[in-house]
Amino acid sequence: MSGFRLNLRNGVGDALSDETINFTFNGKPYQGRKGDTLASALLANGVKIVARSFKYHRPRGIFTAGSEEPNALVTLRIAGRKEPNVRATEVELYDGLIARTQNSWPSVNFDLMTVNQLPGKTFSAGFYYKTFMGPSRPGHKATQFWWICEQFIRRAAGLGKGSAHADPDRYARMNAFCDILVVGSGAAGLAAAQRAASAGAKVIACEENPTLGGALQSAPDILDGEPAKDWVSHAWEELAQEPNVTVLRRTTVQSYFDDNTFLAVERVADHIAQPEKGQPRQRAWNIRAKSTVIATGALERPMVFPGNDLPGVMLADAARRYAVEFGTSPGRSICVFTNNDTGWLAARDMAKSGVIISAIVDVRLDVADHIRAAGEETRAQVRIGAAVVKAKGFRHLSAVKVRDFSEATGHVSGHERTIPCDVLAVSGGWSPAFHLTSQQGGKPQWDAELQAFLPGAPIQKWHCAGAMAGQFGLRSAFRSGEEAAVKALADCGLEDGESSVPVIDGDSVDHAPAPVLEIKTPGKAFVDLQHDVTADDVHLAHREGFISVEHLKRYTTLGMATDQGKTSNMSGLSIMAETQGKPIPDVGTTRFRPPYTPVALGALAGERYGHLAAERLTPMYDLHVEAGAHMYANGPWLRPESYNLPGENVEQAYIRETIAVRKSVGMVDVSTLGKIDVQGPDAAEFLNRIYSNGFAKLPVGKARYGLMLREDGFLFDDGTTWRLDDNRFLMTTTTIGAGKVMEHLEYHHDVVWPDLKVALTSVSDEWAAVAVAGPKSRAVLRKCVTDCDVSNEGMPFMGVRDGEIDGIPVKIARLSFSGELAYEVFCGAHWGRALWKALEKAGEKFDITPYGLEALSTLRIEKGHVAGPELNGRTTPLDLGLGGMISSKKNFVGCALLQRETFSKEDRFQLVAVKSLDGQPITGGSHLVAGQKDEPGRSQGHTTSMCFSPELNCYISLALLEGGFKRHGEKLFASSPVRGKHVAVEVINPHIVDPKGGRMHG
Amino acid sequence: MVDQPEMLSPLHDLAMPRAASDTAGVELGERLCASLVQVQAWPNTVGRVEKALSTLKGEITIMPSGPGRWLIEDESEGLEDRLRKKIPSAVGAVTGLTHGRVVISISGRKSEWVLASGIAIDFSTDAFPVGETRLTHHHEIGLTVHRTGETSFDLYVFTSFSRAFWQWIERAGEEVGYSVT
Repeated sequence: MSGFRLNLRNGVGDALSDETINFTFNGKPYQGRKGDTLASALLANGVKIVARSFKYHRPRGIFTAGSEEPNALVTLRIAGRKEPNVRATEVELYDGLIARTQNSWPSVNFDLMTVNQLPGKTFSAGFYYKTFMGPSRPGHKATQFWWICEQFIRRAAGLGKGSAHADPDRYARMNAFCDILVVGSGAAGLAAAQRAASAGAKVIACEENPTLGGALQSAPDILDGEPAKDWVSHAWEELAQEPNVTVLRRTTVQSYFDDNTFLAVERVADHIAQPEKGQPRQRAWNIRAKSTVIATGALERPMVFPGNDLPGVMLADAARRYAVEFGTSPGRSICVFTNNDTGWLAARDMAKSGVIISAIVDVRLDVADHIRAAGEETRAQVRIGAAVVKAKGFRHLSAVKVRDFSEATGHVSGHERTIPCDVLAVSGGWSPAFHLTSQQGGKPQWDAELQAFLPGAPIQKWHCAGAMAGQFGLRSAFRSGEEAAVKALADCGLEDGESSVPVIDGDSVDHAPAPVLEIKTPGKAFVDLQHDVTADDVHLAHREGFISVEHLKRYTTLGMATDQGKTSNMSGLSIMAETQGKPIPDVGTTRFRPPYTPVALGALAGERYGHLAAERLTPMYDLHVEAGAHMYANGPWLRPESYNLPGENVEQAYIRETIAVRKSVGMVDVSTLGKIDVQGPDAAEFLNRIYSNGFAKLPVGKARYGLMLREDGFLFDDGTTWRLDDNRFLMTTTTIGAGKVMEHLEYHHDVVWPDLKVALTSVSDEWAAVAVAGPKSRAVLRKCVTDCDVSNEGMPFMGVRDGEIDGIPVKIARLSFSGELAYEVFCGAHWGRALWKALEKAGEKFDITPYGLEALSTLRIEKGHVAGPELNGRTTPLDLGLGGMISSKKNFVGCALLQRETFSKEDRFQLVAVKSLDGQPITGGSHLVAGQKDEPGRSQGHTTSMCFSPELNCYISLALLEGGFKRHGEKLFASSPVRGKHVAVEVINPHIVDPKGGRMHG
Repeated sequence: MVDQPEMLSPLHDLAMPRAASDTAGVELGERLCASLVQVQAWPNTVGRVEKALSTLKGEITIMPSGPGRWLIEDESEGLEDRLRKKIPSAVGAVTGLTHGRVVISISGRKSEWVLASGIAIDFSTDAFPVGETRLTHHHEIGLTVHRTGETSFDLYVFTSFSRAFWQWIERAGEEVGYSVT
C-alpha cells in the first residue's frame, strides 16, 4: 500500500481545509491538512505499517475509518498528556501532534518480536490458561525458572504503556436532562431529532465524530437538489439553532444504564494540542432522558481468508471514505472483495474520486444489473462467483489470489489467478451497532436475509432507527428515524410533530449480503485482528470443548480488548456456528458491556481526585493553623492533632498539653461533635426510648450522659444530651458517629414510632464548641462570662446555662471528658473565632493551653472514658463497665437482645487498662498474650487506645481482655508481631485519674 | 452588656470581590443570613403553621424543605424568637440555623451550566421554576438551592463544608469565567 493525496476538488476531500498541519509519527516529520485524521494523513503520506499485532507482532495497517479500528492503535502526546492505545482513525490532526507506534522493538517496520510467530501453534487459543498456572499445583509444577520466563512472555504481548506523570488536564462532568436523547447524527438520527424538536421536545443529539451527518457526509446522493453532505450540514445547523435542541459533537454515548440514564463522553479538547485555560480535556455527560432514539448505524464487517491481516487489507467503506471525505487514495491500485452490493458502490465512488480500481471480486453470481453497471464505471476487471483465497505480500499487500467460488457449497475451485494490488477493500456486509441496547439486556434477533443480528424488542423506552435497526438505505433511514421519534414523543406525552423528509435522488441498494464470511483455504486467516485470534483458534477451542459462545470468547479472547470485537464478532460467530453445525442464531451472541469505546479513567473521575471526600472545617480552623497546629484528618474533619512548639514532636507536645490541663487549664475545639436538635411534645419520650438510661425525668437546665444501643444490644454511640426546655433537647454525639446516629434516630422516628411528635434536625454546623478543662477552668469562665453564675452552686456538675462572653450568646454545660473540672461552651458558629479568642484572652493569666486530639485522647484514656475504639460494634455496656446505665424500668432500643445469655458470660472481652512495664510504647491493636515473644500463646484480648500517661509516667493503653474485670494486677504481653513488638504490661483499673471523681465534681 | 460581635464567614477572604480575567459567565457571591430558621409542623398542624408563616412581615423568604417543613430566611435578626412565639411546641418545632449555613450565590448566563456540572438535578426553568427550592447535594455536601431568578440561584451550604464548596464552584466557574461580587 502506498497511499497518496488525490486531486482535491468539490466532492473529493471536502473534510479538508487548505491549512497545512505539521506532525510527527515515530519521530519523523510529516504534513497533513486541517480536517485530516491521523489515519488519513498517514495514508496520504504513504505510511503502510502503523502497528504491530498484540501477540505475534505481525505488521498491521489501517483497517477502518472509525472508532471500530482494531489495528491502528498509537500512543499520542508525551509526558503527563501521553495517552496509549488511541485509535489513529479517530485522532483529529493538530499542529505539533506527536504520535508513536507501540508494541514493537526496535521499530514498527523492523520488529524483532516477530519471533513470536515462529512457535506459532504454541501461542494458540488458551495459551495463557494453559501456561500461566499457579506454582506447584497438583499436575503442574512451576519452577523459579518458569516464573522468570513468564515475565518476558507477558511483556512480549500487550498494547501501549501509560504515563507515570500526573495528567495536567482537568476532566469535567455534566448532568443533563432531556425528553429525547438521539444517539447518532446520520439520516435516521437527524430525522428523529428534527421531528422530535418540531413537537417541542427537549432534545439532546450526540455524534461521535467531529462532523455531523454520519454516512451522509460522504454519500453520493442528492437531497432536495443539494449534495448530501451540504444538505445534512445545513439541516443540522438549522436544528442546532432551536432553543430546545442541544447538539454534542465529538461525544460518544458510551453506556446505557437503567431508567434511560446514559454516560456520554465529550472530547472537548482532544482535537487541539492542549486545552484552553479552564477548559476541560473531556467532559463526561450524565444524561437522563425520558425516551431515546438510537440511530448508531452499522459497522462493516470483514471477510476471513488467509493473509487477511496484511497492511493494505481494509474495509471497503473505509477505503471509500478516505477517498471521498479525505481526498486520499489508500493505495496505487485497489482490488475490491465483497459479498454484497455496497462493495461495488464503494468501488464506483472511489473511482469517481480518482482512485484506480484494479478488480472487483464478488462471491455471488447473482448481481443486479444496476450494480454491475456501477462496477463497470470503474473500468476494473470484474470477477463474480469468485473469492480472494489468499492475500500475498511481504510486510504489506502486493497481490491477491482469486479462484472460483461456489456460494452454495462454500468451496473454491478452478484456476488460481493473481491480481497485483496494494490495497484490498473488503466488505462482508453490515452489522447493526446495537451495543447500547445490548448493554441494557436487549436480546438481539437474527435476520436471515440481512445475515445480521438486529437489536430486538426494547425493554426500556428506546426506539431504534436507521441501519442500526436493519433499516438500510436513505429512504428507510429517514422514515424509521421519524417513526422512532413519534414513538419517543408518545413516551413523553407529546404530539407527533411535523414530518420533513427530503426528496432523495440516489442509488437503490440491496444491503443483503451472501451468507459467506470465511473463505476456507489453508493459511493463517484472522478473525480478530486486535487479539490475533485466527479461524484455527476458533476451531481448536471447539475441539477442546468450548461450545458456549461465552466460553469461546473467554478462551480465545475473541472480541476482547480495546475494540471489543466490533469488526470480528460476526465472523467469529459464523465460524463457530459452522463448526458446530448449527445456524448462527442458535449459537447466540455475547452481551455487550459498557463502555462502547475505551474511556479514560480521568473522564469518569472528573474532579474527584486527591481527597475523595470534601473537607469539613470548624469555624476556628484558621486560628489553629495560625497557632502552628499540626492538622490531622479525623473523618471528613481536619482537626489539630497537637500544637507543637518549635522543636517539639507530636508526643512531646501532647504530653505538655495534657499536663497543662491537669495542672491549670486547657482549651480544645470540639465543634466537630455531632449535634442534633430534638424538639416536640414527645421529645423526652423519644429520647427515653432511644437511650439505655432514663431521660424522661431529666430536669430542664441539666445534661445527662447517655448510651445508645443497636437493636441487637451492642453499643452504638454515646454522648451528652442537654434539656433546654420541656420540649427541646440538644443531643451531642461522637464526631464520627454523627451521621449514623442521625440516621438511627430518623429511622426510629419514621418507621418504628411515627406517632411521636418529635422533630430531628442536625445542628452540628450551627454551633461552635470549645471545651475548657482543668482546675482553673472555672476561674477562666469567671473572667469572661456575664449573665451567668458559674460557681459550683450556680452551675453544678451537669448543669446547662445560658450566658454571654464578650457579647456572644453562649450555652455553657459543665461536662467533663478529661476527668477534670471542665465546661463545654457553645456559641453560633459564625462567632466561633471570636469565642476562641475571648477564652484565650480570659485564660492568659492561667497560661491557658490549647490542646489537640492527642491530648484530648490522653486525658480521657487516663480517666477510663470510652470512645470510638472501644465502641467498636462488638461491645455492650456491660463489657465497658457501664452496666449501671442500663435502665430496668423501661424499654429502649436494644433492651430485649441485651438480655442474651452470652452477654453476661464472665469471659467476655472487658474493659481494662494496661501499663507498659519496660518503658516501651504499646502499639494500638496489639494482642494481649501470656507467653514470651517466641511462644506467645493465644490472644486473650487486644489494646484499643494507647498514649503516654503523664499521671503514671509510663505508656498505657485501654484494652479489651477476656474476663478483664477480675484480672487487675496480672502480667501479660502486648504483642504486635507484624511490627515486631512484644511489650511486658500489667493489667490495671482503667480509671487511673481521680477514680472517685472529686476533681470534676469539685 | 457588650454588643454582639460581627459574625465572621467561614469563607474568610476566599470570597473577596474580584473581577473576571476576561468575560465572566457567572458572578459568585457570598453572604451570611441575619436569620435562618427551620420550622417543622406536626402531621395534623401543617395548616396552622402555614397560616402562622403567612403572617410574617418583612423581607422573608420561605423555602419548603420537606413535608410540613420550611426553611425561612429573614433579612433582620431575631426570627427564631418571633417564630417560637407564634408556633408553640404543640404546633411545631422551631430550630435556629442562622449559623449553620452560608449562602453562596451564583448568577449570570452560564449559572445553570456551572451548577449542572456538579449537581445532578434539572436546572431548566420548566423543571425548576423561579422562586422554587430544591434539596440536593454536591460531592456529599448537602445543599438547599433556591432559584431567585431566571439565571440566579442562592445555595444554602452547610457552614463546615462551605469552604470546600466554594473552592469547587470557583473551579467549576473557570471554564466560563467568573467574577466575585
